[in-house]
Amino acid sequence: MAPGGLVLAAEEFTVREEPYYLPLGDEIELFEAAFEQRIPVLLKGPTGCGKTRFVEYMSWRLGRPMTHISQGGEAPLDDEGPRPFVTVACHEDLTASDLVGRYLLDTDGTRWIDGPLTRAVKTGAICYLDEVVEARKDTTVLIHPLTDYRRLLPIEKLGQVVEAADGFLLVISYNPGYQSALKDLKHSTRQRFISVEFTYPTREQEAEIISHESGVDLAVSIELAKLGEKVRNLKEHGLSEGVSTRLLIYAGRLIERGIEPRRAAQVGVTWALTDDLEVQRSIEEVVTSIFE
Amino acid sequence: MSVAGGLIARNRSRFDGFPEPLLESYEGSLRALEPRLTPTQLEAWSQGGLDLMAISLRSWESAAEYFKAGPQLAESTPWDTYEQLAREASDLTEQSAPLAVSFLRSAPATLTHIGPNHLAQWADFGRRLYKGNWKSSSLAAQFYDSGPDLFGTIRVSHAGRLVLFLDELARHSYELAAACLTSAPEVLGRLEGGDRMPFLTFGVELAQTSWADSRLYFDRGVPLIQRVHGPVRERYLTLAAQVARDHSRSVFQYFEDAAHALGEVEPDDHGPVIELAEQLAPHSAYAAMDFISNAPEVLEKVRIDELAAWQNHGLGILASSKEGGEAYFRLQSSRGEEILDTLSARVELSKVGDVLRLYAKALTGTNISIHASAVLTEKGIGWVDEERASTEGTTIYLPEVMERYRNKEENFASVKVFTTHQAAHLEFDSFSFGFDRPSTLFDDLRPTIPESADSNPATEIERFFDLFPDRTLASDLHEIAEDARIDAAIKRNYAGIRRALTRMQREELGRRPEVSELPLRQAFVENLVRVSLDGVDAVRWPAAQQDAMSNGVAVLQRLGEEGATVEDAAEATLRLYQLAMSVKNEREEGDEEWDSLPDMDQESLQLDMSDLGGEGASMEMGEPQEGDVEYESPQDIDFRGDFKPELVQLLMKLRDDAELGDAGQISPDQLTEEQLKELLEKSAEIDLDTLLEGDLQNTTGMFLSNLLKEAGTPTLDSDAQSDQPLSDLSTGAEEGEEPLAPIVTTYYYDEWDFRAQDYKPRWCAVKEAALEEGEDDFYEDTLKEYAALVAQTRKQFELMKPELFRKIKKLSDGEDVELDPAIEWMIDIRTGVSPSDKIYWRRNKVDRDVAIAFLLDMSASTDEEIARRDQQYDDSDDDPRKYLSWWVTKRRQELAAPPKRIIDLEKEATVLLITALETIGDDYGIYGFSGYGRDNVEFYVLKDFDEQFGETTKKRIDKVTPIRSTRMGPAIRHAIHKLSETDAKVRILVLLSDGRPQDHGYGRDRTEKEYAIHDTKQALNEAKREGITPFALTVDRAGHDYLKTMCEDMGYEVVGDIESLPRRLPALYRSLTE
Repeated sequence: MAPGGLVLAAEEFTVREEPYYLPLGDEIELFEAAFEQRIPVLLKGPTGCGKTRFVEYMSWRLGRPMTHISQGGEAPLDDEGPRPFVTVACHEDLTASDLVGRYLLDTDGTRWIDGPLTRAVKTGAICYLDEVVEARKDTTVLIHPLTDYRRLLPIEKLGQVVEAADGFLLVISYNPGYQSALKDLKHSTRQRFISVEFTYPTREQEAEIISHESGVDLAVSIELAKLGEKVRNLKEHGLSEGVSTRLLIYAGRLIERGIEPRRAAQVGVTWALTDDLEVQRSIEEVVTSIFE
Repeated sequence: MSVAGGLIARNRSRFDGFPEPLLESYEGSLRALEPRLTPTQLEAWSQGGLDLMAISLRSWESAAEYFKAGPQLAESTPWDTYEQLAREASDLTEQSAPLAVSFLRSAPATLTHIGPNHLAQWADFGRRLYKGNWKSSSLAAQFYDSGPDLFGTIRVSHAGRLVLFLDELARHSYELAAACLTSAPEVLGRLEGGDRMPFLTFGVELAQTSWADSRLYFDRGVPLIQRVHGPVRERYLTLAAQVARDHSRSVFQYFEDAAHALGEVEPDDHGPVIELAEQLAPHSAYAAMDFISNAPEVLEKVRIDELAAWQNHGLGILASSKEGGEAYFRLQSSRGEEILDTLSARVELSKVGDVLRLYAKALTGTNISIHASAVLTEKGIGWVDEERASTEGTTIYLPEVMERYRNKEENFASVKVFTTHQAAHLEFDSFSFGFDRPSTLFDDLRPTIPESADSNPATEIERFFDLFPDRTLASDLHEIAEDARIDAAIKRNYAGIRRALTRMQREELGRRPEVSELPLRQAFVENLVRVSLDGVDAVRWPAAQQDAMSNGVAVLQRLGEEGATVEDAAEATLRLYQLAMSVKNEREEGDEEWDSLPDMDQESLQLDMSDLGGEGASMEMGEPQEGDVEYESPQDIDFRGDFKPELVQLLMKLRDDAELGDAGQISPDQLTEEQLKELLEKSAEIDLDTLLEGDLQNTTGMFLSNLLKEAGTPTLDSDAQSDQPLSDLSTGAEEGEEPLAPIVTTYYYDEWDFRAQDYKPRWCAVKEAALEEGEDDFYEDTLKEYAALVAQTRKQFELMKPELFRKIKKLSDGEDVELDPAIEWMIDIRTGVSPSDKIYWRRNKVDRDVAIAFLLDMSASTDEEIARRDQQYDDSDDDPRKYLSWWVTKRRQELAAPPKRIIDLEKEATVLLITALETIGDDYGIYGFSGYGRDNVEFYVLKDFDEQFGETTKKRIDKVTPIRSTRMGPAIRHAIHKLSETDAKVRILVLLSDGRPQDHGYGRDRTEKEYAIHDTKQALNEAKREGITPFALTVDRAGHDYLKTMCEDMGYEVVGDIESLPRRLPALYRSLTE
């Protein structure tokens, strides 16, 4: 874990340690190829299946000194140092100026400060807009010129247009499951991205992830993964979203800390997932079936 | 001359003027008594009679009876008695001669029963009944007359109580008393001695409190009493008497109900039940009786020793609130039900079904339903046992109630084991057997066995079973093998229920029949069952034939390995079958020792296994040999339930075919009827005889059509329709068919009992149906009539339409700096004043997300006409011509435009509101309610939430008419249910009524207001709790008083001027949602 207390400007943050990531398919190759071609990427998948971790991992991976030459025979990618990585969690009140920047009042007048997107564009960072559909429609339109051949960010209030630095890549994530029908991604937006779908890992893979991330032994983590698989069967039948790998890892960590498995699963899975008593009870029964 | 002769001669003259027979009886009497009495006594006796004659005009009649009675007395009767009789006779005669006649007439016979000592008492009883009028005299006379009969059965002390009873009754009705007295000897005679006194005691209480029931009690009481266990009858009656003393209402009803109820309880349990009731009686006699009356129902859920705990809870409630406690014991309280549930050890499928459904879904990943086994057996498709768990591929069937253990957790655990086993059949693919799919653990023998050429199996598993000459044995072995595999898989995958499963396996092992008494082949199978239950140590087998058994066990145990498939179970079945056939099915004659299997080392077993597999090429399936006892299947194992792979595969196939058929395709290997019939005849899973009665041909046909119905295929025997195009069949409706009756859906809701401070569980039935459709005239007319208002309303509501982005100013953070405050900010800075930092603005997205349910009172009172504020006729001006002309004008007006009723205004208001709502686009539902009684709360849908406004709605408004009562609570609760199904952020419930809630049984009686108002208030509170804003609107001018109680802190309004309602309602709505 990174040492605490370090304060960085948004564009200075880099992923310096290799994050743990277990590839589930060809997503790494896809992302690398997209990055080389500067094609924006849309990551689709349920909550907690590892989208953010994947982007972090890719940011670290792409920030490594590149040894291979890309197909076109061009020079190695631009930088030697780690690649800046800007994450913006989108919420329903996120406005365009939250992304681009705004005037702040100063003793002598106003002062402009760049928003995270502007900074990423200027420094050539990987900019990750998490849960992009949550944001207002006007923000999603804002990224349009950035995501086609133009790679431009117009800053209306300054009357400027910023050209994206070479390393800039926009990655957005989107969870088709739980958003209401109203909050679908507009087609004009979604057709600017290649789309990589994430699903839950298989039982064995998930067990490996849980075991690695939480430190519990594989036998326990396979049980946790089994629980995850069973609970996900309940999706759309009382549960709007299946249990995330993240939650299973939390449960694993609790077990690792000496909490009884049934109890850990209860607080980490059952209660975390739903408030519906009936569904809770059902999950509880699955838990008590799996754990002794 | 004898003493008698002397007396007669002396007294003859005194009989002058009396009828001749009197003298005759006098003479007869004296002569008969002469031998018994001394001369002095005889004279005294004679004098007694003579004195009687002198008492009054008619007293000679009693004297005549006196003379007759004397000789009839038993010879041993002491002189005292004669004297006493004379005294009593004289005394009675003084009161009423006919009374004395009756007394004397039955005295001799009565005395034989009661003995001389009780004569005075008996006479007293009669006197007590005599009140000096002729009715009482005849009752008393009847009492004396019935003396012999009565005392033939009862003792004097009983009679005392009976007289008390009669006396009490007589105060109300002599006829009733007489009738009871007539039947008394017979009624009391049917009772056992010890029961009579309490029976009468209760009777007395009954007579005092509700005398009219006494006749019923006398007529029906005895069989009722006899339902109560003998030793406690007296206590029961004492208790009932206590109830009667404390209360006066429907005492007999309580008595009858309780006695009936006790009849349903085990006699041995009567004692404890009555004892518990006795503890309740000091607090509330009603509670005590209700406790007994409901005992059978309660005892269905709890055991007798848990009853005390339930009663104790109730006692606590009773002590703090009498009403609450009484509701508790009436089983009309949610608290009572909860406690009952907690105490009850049994697990009801109806309560846990939903949890299990999700549980099974989680395990299997498919949509599983959970139903009671009875549902499956009713379908008549091959399953016959209502108590056993099973599955047919899409649904898991479980027994309705589980009460095997003494506590709830264990019972639930066993239901869970049942469910898990069935779910595991689906999870681990028991039904997806493929004949040609290779197994993973064995060398496949299936391809090596010659298949019969003429068989045409419908399913894969049928094809497999076709390999075996003895299908029953094969089926049993396959079930054992498959269940062994499933149980092992469960134990491996679900550590959590391992313990419960192991426990059930152990219990099953304990229930197995003695193996050494079985014929050898059956013993072999039985041993395999034991092994499958993890009971290798329970295997007993003749040591001499150890090989077959050891091999069998080894084969079976392999199925416990990880990765074993249903095909492995099939391969194991083949091997086990051969091994089973290698032993004869006969009883072991010799004294050979049956031993447990020696410890086997794995290697030798593996070797045996491969030997077995090796011979595969020349595999021959054995057939039952001559001399064998007929094979019988092993005893069932409870937690595994019924396993019928053939039927399940068949159903699955039929379903697939049906789906293909629906899609307009015909499955390439569509099943033929012959195939089906063949399967049914062959299969060991179906016992047609037990399935349905009737001849085989019929049965098979019925069975087939049941199967097809279940699978969703059109029945094969519908040949007549087969030339019609398929689409016609699917629409179902024929032309010219009667319109269907509206579909009524019933919902149950609790009702709040403010006295008990508790809910009455599932008290009201709300019947929801779409309202009939009329014409849309009303709707259009209203729009015309209120054209101006409509336009105005529309405009107002259009203005309300939310702007998608509304600019909010003066924020400390926002999208951008706002100019004016920014300038002020600069000025402040420059002038050295502390500036305000609220200089930003932002657009706020406002989504209007409102759902409103509108409840319309359709009670009969809305039929009332509205008093028009037309010029009233002025009474002071009494010119008849003016009156006439006023009246004529009024009539004319009324004919032209009939006076509006409250309901009409309600409807008009609704129409206007709809216009408004359609303009603004809010989600809304409009409902009407009425009904009568708690079982029949009618709830009419004018427009449901998910329904589009259209012609139907318009036409339905026309049909809104006053119907019956106003039970608001359940209607509100149902509207809450409707609202909570919408996912709007703001939810509003508007209740429009014309008066206070009122219904039959909505309170103690029709005049009681509190109950209904409290229930309505509680319902409105529930709405608030659900996050719904309730609003009550009434056109009842007297509404303030009850609305204040009903809507304490909620919005309400009394529309004083009724006619302004159509205008008021949309305005109100605006203010509610803006």
